[in-house]
Formats: sequence, structure tokens, C-alpha cells
Amino acid sequence: MRASRAVVMVGGLLALATMPWWARDQYQLHLAALIGVYWILIAGLNLIVGYSGQLSIGHVGLLAIGAYAFAILTGRYEWSPWIALMASGGIGALCGLLLGLPSLRLPGFYFAMATLAFALIVTEISLAQGDLTGGGTGLSVPGFTAPFDTPGGFHALILSVAALITWLTWNVARFMWGRALIAVRDSVVTAQAVGVPVFRAKLLVFVFSGLTAGVAGALFASLQSYITPDTFVFELGLFFFVCIIIGGRGTIVGPLIGTAVLTALPEIVAPLARWSTFFYGLLLLAVVLLVPEGIGHVVEIVRARWKPRSLQSFAVTPDAARLARCLRADPER
Amino acid sequence: MISLAAKTVTKVFGGLTALSEVSIEVRPGEIHGLIGPNGSGKTTLLNALSGYYLADAGRVTLGEADLTRDSVQRRAFAGVARTFQKPRLLPTLSVIDNVMLGGWPAVRSTFFGTALSWLRARREERTLRARAEELLHGVGLAQVMTRRASLLEHAEQRFAEIARGLMASPRFLLLDEPAGGLTPHEIEQLGVVIRTVRDAGIGVLLVEHHTDFVFRLSDRVTALDLGRVIRQGTPAEVRHDAEVIRVYLGA
Repeated sequence: MRASRAVVMVGGLLALATMPWWARDQYQLHLAALIGVYWILIAGLNLIVGYSGQLSIGHVGLLAIGAYAFAILTGRYEWSPWIALMASGGIGALCGLLLGLPSLRLPGFYFAMATLAFALIVTEISLAQGDLTGGGTGLSVPGFTAPFDTPGGFHALILSVAALITWLTWNVARFMWGRALIAVRDSVVTAQAVGVPVFRAKLLVFVFSGLTAGVAGALFASLQSYITPDTFVFELGLFFFVCIIIGGRGTIVGPLIGTAVLTALPEIVAPLARWSTFFYGLLLLAVVLLVPEGIGHVVEIVRARWKPRSLQSFAVTPDAARLARCLRADPER
Repeated sequence: MISLAAKTVTKVFGGLTALSEVSIEVRPGEIHGLIGPNGSGKTTLLNALSGYYLADAGRVTLGEADLTRDSVQRRAFAGVARTFQKPRLLPTLSVIDNVMLGGWPAVRSTFFGTALSWLRARREERTLRARAEELLHGVGLAQVMTRRASLLEHAEQRFAEIARGLMASPRFLLLDEPAGGLTPHEIEQLGVVIRTVRDAGIGVLLVEHHTDFVFRLSDRVTALDLGRVIRQGTPAEVRHDAEVIRVYLGA
């Protein structure tokens, strides 16, 4: 089971890494890069939505901030794109902190509304501050330096960053912080009882998701080579959220599949291009009705249905000697 | 000797005085039973000790330390663990993950250190997992270690919550009606676990309706009625107290 999963992962990574050589056209490569950029944002957002259970639908605002920061720093101030990429991440993290501080205390839907308002405000500011952002006309964005200035090279850069971010979120998810975040999502009372600082945990994750959104924004701007406020419509923020819901909560691979499928959807249904929004809706409806746990949990669900594990019942029989040994070995006493 | 104590604690909800100048001291290595009719303030007192309610007057202390204004989390770090009347496990996590969560106060890894998988995070993970496995064997749940918590039977949930509470090596363990919904056989097993915890030097507060169980297990008992302490003493003293018999035990 573990070995087969590793094979799938390594195989998938190899297939993606060699894509510049086997992709049929530039558009496919662009699409793969776009999936990678979206995933960099969604991987961070997944810790907020899928693990901590905070419904942010406004991360497109953080994406826009990262994108504009990169475009302005490289274009206007002629910074090195590498420094600008890191600065975009930093600015994204800072904005995440400023947004999270007041809003993360709000319950459920009120928090979602706050993030929505944030995204709308960012769009308005990018329109109003024409001197800096080019207003409605937008900005052209420089690319990266060689060897990352070709589509193939840029693809490799995005893939590397995406792999790094995925690894970071996977570490958070599998260790104690992952359990703590799920406690924040499923039972605040339990989280408190074991000592998890609920607000601080949410804020840290939110700052982290701001960082990934800022980095994603920089790469996104460079990939699109031209950005306007219309690039960052509110629907995009909802799209990120839906990728996670379709993928499933509390998993990383599910939202990854969700991101890939939903981003590539217009391409998959290319002959029916005008229907792509219809298929988007249909897919969302199908997942919510048929596998509400998300496609990341399909394997478990199918397995549980076909091979129901017999939940053998047994009498709870404590082993007092072993328990005593365990309690005596306490380091603190 | 470090005791967990409420000192003349008063808690008022609207016009209702749920606790009125209640004092109680739980000593290390003793089982302190807390009994009383419904609405007498047992769970309110437990919540005041664990920090879910802040006392309107009076103090909560742990040895010399004043916990009165401390949050639930700070009290957990100070060594006060608890269980709930209705077990609160995280349904999507396995039993061992739930128990490991209880080890949070021992975690020193920062969020970003964990993200970078620093050696310390991995070492902590190994230590906590080993301890959680031992505790689960100890309370008798080794067979369901990897099962999703949502699939546990009621008694299993109760024992898993106790294991989670013991994960952080607490000084005091507050149990809110742990025998509720258990069969007589399971109650016996619960008694074994609680006595073992007591013998390890941990102070246990046992809030319970099951009076036979409380009198059999406890070293000292406090009886509450209408938010007031009506009697405190050994099980024998409390059991034969005229007031206790009148309001709670019946003739």
C-alpha cells in the first residue's frame, strides 16, 4: 500500500517534470504551469479550509497582492525577479497577518464574509491606485532570468516550488500541528482541553497561507505576463475554495486532484467549450451529492463498501501494571 | 504537596447562583468524589476548575500558583487534564491520533519548524507515538488503536478520552461522569484504571451519579446541593450524613 503510493507519486512527479519534452503544444505546458501555480496557493489554503475548517473564500485577494507586488517590484523598481518572488511571499504573509488578526475571531460565515470583503477591497484598490498598478489597463510583468525564461524552464521552476510547498504542508499535516488544526476544526472545546492555542494556531496557518498565496501570485503574474484587476475576479477565490471542497477535507492529495481536474476542465471538455461552466457546476453537484467527503476519500469509501471491516467488539480490559509503568515513567514527575 | 483547590468560588448565571462559595481541595494521589443531585453544580465546579468557566468570586489555585484568571489552555499546561460527560474525540482521526493530541503540552516544535520537518518535530512525534501506544495498551484499547474514533463504542470512547487526558502527564485528572452509560463490568474496569492513576500520584476528581461507585472508590467525598457544599469527608461520613441522605441518597 505504502510502496504503491510512493510509486504513483514518483511516477507522477517524473511525468510532470518531463512534460516539456512530451507535451503536444505550448498550451498544454501553460496549463500544467497554471495548475502548479494554483496549487501553490491552494496547498496553503488547504491548511486553512481543509484542516482548520476556516472558510476563506477571499484568497484571490492575497494572490492579487502577490502578483501586483511582483509586477511593481520587477517592472517599476527593476528588482531581481528572485528577490521580488521572496518579497511577494513576505508581503502575502504580512497581509495574511493583517487580515487574519481581526477576522479569525469571527465564527463560520462571518469569517467567510470578511475574506470576501477583503478580496473586493483589493480589486478596488488596484483599480484606484492607477499610478502604481496601471489601473484598469493593468501592468505587463517581466519573466525570470535564464534558464527559467523559456516555457520549459519556467515550468520546472513552478514544479519545484509546488513540490516544496506540498512537502511543507504535508509535514504540518502529519505531525502534531496537523492534529491540533483538526481539533480546531472539529471541536474547539477539545482543542482547548489539550492546550491548543486556538486563535494563535489559526493565525499562524493563515499567515503561512498568505505566504504561499503571495508566492503563487508572483509566479502567476509572470506566467500570465500581463495582469489587470479583471484577472483577479471574485470567482477565482471561490474556485480555489471549491477545489478543496471537491478534493475533500483533511487530505492533501484530494485538493491536488481537485485543482488539476477543475483547472484542466475547460481543456478536457474542449469540444464543448461553451459548456465548461456547466460541467464545473455538474461536477461540484455530483461530488457534493455522491461523495460529500470529497474525491480524496473515494478510495477509503469504496474499500469500506466492498470490504466492510468487521468491527469486532471486545471487552475493554485494562492492563494495570502496564498503565502504572507508563505513568511512573513520566518525565515530569 | 501541590493540591488543586477551589477557594470560596461563586459562579452566577443570570439570576441563578450555580456555585455559592464552594471550597474543595483535590490532593495528589487521592480520588476525590463529587456527588449531588442534578443541577447541584458538580459539572459547573469541574468547569470552574478546568477553566471553561471563570469564577465570579473566589480563587482557583494549584499549589502556590493562582489559576483563577487562567485560560483552559494554561491550566492544561499547568497539569490539569479532564474528560467530558459526552466524550469529545475527533471523529475523523484514529484512536491513537486522538490520544497523541493529548500530548500537546509536551510539544516544543514551532509551526514553521514542523513544516520544515526539523529533527525535533520528528523526534517528538516518535516519543509521543510510543507513549500513546503504551497508554492504549494500559487502558485496554490496543485492539482499536488504528480505528477511526467515530467507529468506537461508547465505553471505548470513555477509555480513549482518559488515555488522552493522561498523555500530557497531568498532576490532576478531572473526570466528568466517567461511568455514565457503562455496563457493570466496564465500570469495574474503569475502577481499575482510576485506582492505577491515583496510585501513580495523580489527583483524581470524580464527578459521578453512580454513588456506589464513588463511595467504593473515593478517598474523600464532597456532596453538593444547590451550589453549596453540604458535607465533606470520608465516604463513610458522607454516606451517613443526615443532610446528604435527605437531599440525595434518599432514606
